[in-house]
Amino acid sequence: MTMTTDSVQSVPEEQKTDEALMVQEFDARYGLMPSGEEDFWTASRRTAIKAFAEVGFPSRRTEAYKYTPVTKWLKNNLASSTEKSATSLADTFNDIDGYHYRTTDGQLLDRDAPKLPEGLSIGTLQEMRSSDSSFLETYLSRAIVLERDPFAALASAFADDGIFIRVEKGIHVDQPVVIHHNTLTVGGLAQPRMLIIVEEDASLNVVEHFPEVPAGSSFENRVAEVFIGEKAKMDHVLVFERNEHSSFVNGLFVHQGAESNFKTDTITLGGGLVRNNLNFLPDAEECETHLNGLYVARGSAHIDNHTLVDHAKPNCFSNELFKGIVTDSATGVFNGKVLVRQDAQKTNAYQSSKSIVLDRSAQIYAKPELEIYADDVKCSHGATTGELDEEALFYLRSRGIPEKAARLMLLEAFARDVVDLVDNEAVKQYLYERLHHLLSS
Amino acid sequence: MLEIKNLHVSIEEEQKEILRGLDLKVGPGEVHAIMGPNGSGKSTLASVLAGRDGYEVTEGSISFDGDDLLELEADERAREGLFLAFQYPVELPGVSMSNFLKQAVSSVREHRGLDALSAGDFLKLMKEKAALVHLDPALKARAVNEGFSGGEKKRNEIFQLAMLDPKLAILDETDSGLDIDALRIVADGVNTLRSSDRSFVVITHYQRLLDYIVPDVVHVLVDGKIVLSGDKSLALKLEEHGYDWIRDESALPAS
Repeated sequence: MTMTTDSVQSVPEEQKTDEALMVQEFDARYGLMPSGEEDFWTASRRTAIKAFAEVGFPSRRTEAYKYTPVTKWLKNNLASSTEKSATSLADTFNDIDGYHYRTTDGQLLDRDAPKLPEGLSIGTLQEMRSSDSSFLETYLSRAIVLERDPFAALASAFADDGIFIRVEKGIHVDQPVVIHHNTLTVGGLAQPRMLIIVEEDASLNVVEHFPEVPAGSSFENRVAEVFIGEKAKMDHVLVFERNEHSSFVNGLFVHQGAESNFKTDTITLGGGLVRNNLNFLPDAEECETHLNGLYVARGSAHIDNHTLVDHAKPNCFSNELFKGIVTDSATGVFNGKVLVRQDAQKTNAYQSSKSIVLDRSAQIYAKPELEIYADDVKCSHGATTGELDEEALFYLRSRGIPEKAARLMLLEAFARDVVDLVDNEAVKQYLYERLHHLLSS
Repeated sequence: MLEIKNLHVSIEEEQKEILRGLDLKVGPGEVHAIMGPNGSGKSTLASVLAGRDGYEVTEGSISFDGDDLLELEADERAREGLFLAFQYPVELPGVSMSNFLKQAVSSVREHRGLDALSAGDFLKLMKEKAALVHLDPALKARAVNEGFSGGEKKRNEIFQLAMLDPKLAILDETDSGLDIDALRIVADGVNTLRSSDRSFVVITHYQRLLDYIVPDVVHVLVDGKIVLSGDKSLALKLEEHGYDWIRDESALPAS
């Protein structure tokens, strides 16, 4: 379906599709047709909205969203909201050593930013656009396949600004960059954007926290692009703890250069609807990619981890571990695809997904996919879903440990596997405590 | 200490009666061995005593130190002082030995009205009891039974027994899978733990273990019933002649 301005205008308001409304909104704000001189930014937005209009929001028939009908949640938040609620964050990540930044709906606050070491720059995309537009153009939107991801296309079209982080060649940033994300968009759609560039032989740790915000429904559709240069390294941790009325589509697109190393730990402990779209393209030889994830879905939450590792070049390594605990009437989804292209000989790719279902009304859908076109590779995947191990529970109880405490011990042990992989000690300790608290109730 | 009367037990899913009128009385400080051929109901007895799910007691009673054991949940039984050394100890990835033992010991001590141990005293206790069965104290950082050898797992069971200080310990085929050296270590550990206020029920298929843990009474379990009891010489006779002569003597149908 191709959407043009004409067709949008000819349909009565109440019959318009959600896509048409979005396109109309775009037209009203930015204009669908080019007008005179315009820079790459505006042009790329138009490309993005066109891609979005082509693909449209996923439906139940869209394979990639078969178990996660995002539009159901999106309905309440489609109107671009002007209603803002003033909130302050009780942010538990304040005490972590690092360079702290705060955002509201993706926009950097705290202009009295911390003093940064040489070679690390943190600012906004618009600042970069003014100071070095051609540098920005080299990267922005280059890691995203718009046609494959309508949400990333939408965020690329609408985001007015975003965070820009750059580590220059050879620089090893001594402390993590800690980003505290707030949202003030109640009943609306926020579309934050982020671009991280870690240049050749440089290294960076990033901690992102989406803390709980006071009640109110929000829909955050974020797109984050990460470029890891040759021999560069980045460690990323994301902890999502919004309330049960929050929706979050988390688009992460990672492009890796030769001999680079990227690791993410994506920890989802809150939210009503969460869809983590994690995409990795090790686009040169000898890359290492580590994707770890943990989620706890409670109440009626719906948490979906959708990952793609696209092995395009030879001699790369990827390892993926996702674990989930699903209780009450919540739903957990894991869809992990590992694609090994014909040229990607000597690829080592491993994937494991494990989930525990604690209630009859809780559901898990797990779909590992290995798609291999090279013949000299080592790949494996495994997916298990089950209840708590009765024999293990009995063993603990036979030592005098009450049933409730025994269950908690086993659940914490299950989650610990992933938390242990978090490198940042303070975040790790925080997660142990949070999980203890979450799983005891 | 333990008195079992006319115990009938079926496996819930199979509706099959495994124990068919078992009687057993174990006094304080006594060591009773229960021997029997495969499928006679030895492990079922251990499971029912420890409170494992999946078994249905259709008739009979079990009294433990004056309490109706069947009214207690598995963890309550343990806190009351009953201990089962598992035939197949369970691996618990992600649960460290020290956390596991801390929780177990504090649950048991609290129930018995004892003060919580200080961290230092707890470590001391662990070190002392681990030495009983020659376990490396460094194991406290490891996950419970994960990556333990067969012998280490069995020694770990006796170590836990020592830590929890029960009134009655049931050893379910603790000798299975052990070489002679490991068997000796396990038996030495058990012998050290023998006392006038601790009883043992030692379930075994072979007489070998009883060379080291010398029982006060030996019972022969066949087809869900104790058909013969005697002193330790009975075990030797079983070793020599097998179980068939008992079936003939007690006029049980051969199964």
